[in-house]
Amino acid sequence: MTVLQQEATTALTSTPWTFRVEGLVKTYGTASPANDGISLEVKPGEVYGLLGPNGAGKSTLVKQVMGLLKPTAGSITLGRYDLVANPAIARQLCSYLPQAQMPIDSFTVTEAIEIAGSIRGGQRSEIHLRTRDLIDRLQIGEWAGTRGVRLSGGVRRLVGFAMATVSPGRIVFLDEPTNDVDPLRRRLLWEQIRRVADGGSAVFLVTHNVLEAENSVDRLAVIDRGRLIAEGTPSSVKAECRGRMRLLLMLAPGTIDPELPDFVRDAHRVGNRYTIAINEHDVSASIIWAQMLMGQGVAEEYALGATSLEDAYIKLTGDVTAEGA
Amino acid sequence: MTADADSPPLLSPQRRVSGWMRAYRTLFRWELLGSRLLYPILIVSQILVGAGFVIGFGLLIPDVDADTARYLSTGAVVMSLILVGLVVSPQLIAQQKMEGSYDYVRSMPVPRSAALVASMSLGLMVAIPGIVAALGVATMRYDIVLSVHTSAVPAFILTLACGSLLGSAVGHAIDRPQATLLFTQLGIVFIIGFSPVSFPVERLPHWLSNLHEFLPIHHMSLLVRSSLTEGLVDATVKSWLVLAVWTVIAATVTGVVMGRRA
Repeated sequence: MTVLQQEATTALTSTPWTFRVEGLVKTYGTASPANDGISLEVKPGEVYGLLGPNGAGKSTLVKQVMGLLKPTAGSITLGRYDLVANPAIARQLCSYLPQAQMPIDSFTVTEAIEIAGSIRGGQRSEIHLRTRDLIDRLQIGEWAGTRGVRLSGGVRRLVGFAMATVSPGRIVFLDEPTNDVDPLRRRLLWEQIRRVADGGSAVFLVTHNVLEAENSVDRLAVIDRGRLIAEGTPSSVKAECRGRMRLLLMLAPGTIDPELPDFVRDAHRVGNRYTIAINEHDVSASIIWAQMLMGQGVAEEYALGATSLEDAYIKLTGDVTAEGA
Repeated sequence: MTADADSPPLLSPQRRVSGWMRAYRTLFRWELLGSRLLYPILIVSQILVGAGFVIGFGLLIPDVDADTARYLSTGAVVMSLILVGLVVSPQLIAQQKMEGSYDYVRSMPVPRSAALVASMSLGLMVAIPGIVAALGVATMRYDIVLSVHTSAVPAFILTLACGSLLGSAVGHAIDRPQATLLFTQLGIVFIIGFSPVSFPVERLPHWLSNLHEFLPIHHMSLLVRSSLTEGLVDATVKSWLVLAVWTVIAATVTGVVMGRRA
């Protein structure tokens, strides 16, 4: 560890800091920019979500923070440390769960988590306790002595999460942490993410799972084609859709799209799931219409609810294939 | 805004050394545990390569005299050290790239020199059984007498270090894992067929033997061979120097390509 790294590790323990990305641009040759002037801020104790469709430039942003890619322009700072100029400090201060699976084929679950903690410089006794705690809380104890090569993709993902957070940095970058994880353990994973933030670290979460993010992040940014197109709390990002309701129709298999009444503001279909945006004062008319479609056998069921972050997200990105939703 | 503008307090040399040693021990464990499914296979293959090299090349030559036998047996040792460094190291890096774990390994908050030395230590562990097997088979098969000098230790370490660093440089520098595999295969052909590992350098065409004066392989062979035999070859200071220079160059290049940000 260099002098600067040592100082950085201790200096940010007690002093307030902000993680700041300003005007970040990343281009590859003549292709359109993977990141195009992105600016955002994250504070200690926050769970910050970065949403966007595949290829939007989310992982590119994180890789620049971790010193794996070099920005074409812009700055990335943590407190008073310039992470672009000092990638070794970035590695010291930031923990990272990459999108790809961790290289743990030969490790047992316990070994993988403990050694990841040691590599991050944690104290052995503390790491041992924290490893057991994480294994218990993520309910993966039955695999504690199992080698990675025999684990399912979801359990491997949870082990990767534990490796990134057993001795967390000031900011923990999690790239698609819930991929392959079953619904029960996803909930446990979100609880642990919140615990990491409560412990004083910031969590920077990259995901395209909009529904989960809505319930779990404090603030979020949406990026599309490399540009930041919205930022704020889930409620503020949804504000664009305020005054609207969402009618969900499950169409009968094989039916074509029904003709839409005038009150429909927006509609998109994924498989047999037809999501329709309406104004609040059109609720009664929409229920009558939905019941009529059911009577005709066009729809099998319907549900009416408040607009979600997913609606705002789709409106923002113009993408009807919101994965994981 | 940059931290470089600050003047932080100096960290004592002892704390730097202890921090490096801690990282080395942890990374050694990471490598050892992380490849424990692979190392038995590598060790067995090294034993087969070492022993097979001695016996197989002997079959090519109808009458193996004492000097030829000593060339073959010490050549097998050099081959084991070179293969671990120049071939296995880049292939392990290529495998990380294929699995997608390369980014995680590069994001570890550790000195990269500690990671390299840990990797080399494991390489030496893998090579030793093959070396012992080659020398054991050679003494039984050809009834030769070896005389192991103390210079064997630095000669082995320098040969392995130079090979590993060159191999790591190749592994990190080449983006496509398939290209790395192709490169290492071509390297094996060059080392076995066109390098003075198992035969005297005089047998090569003049221009190639001249070229080998500047490449590391010939000098690796000279150093290892002279540390294991008496009167067969003379390793000079030049060999140590050439290999040391190649090691420094390889370490510098590896450091640059490891830290390279696309």
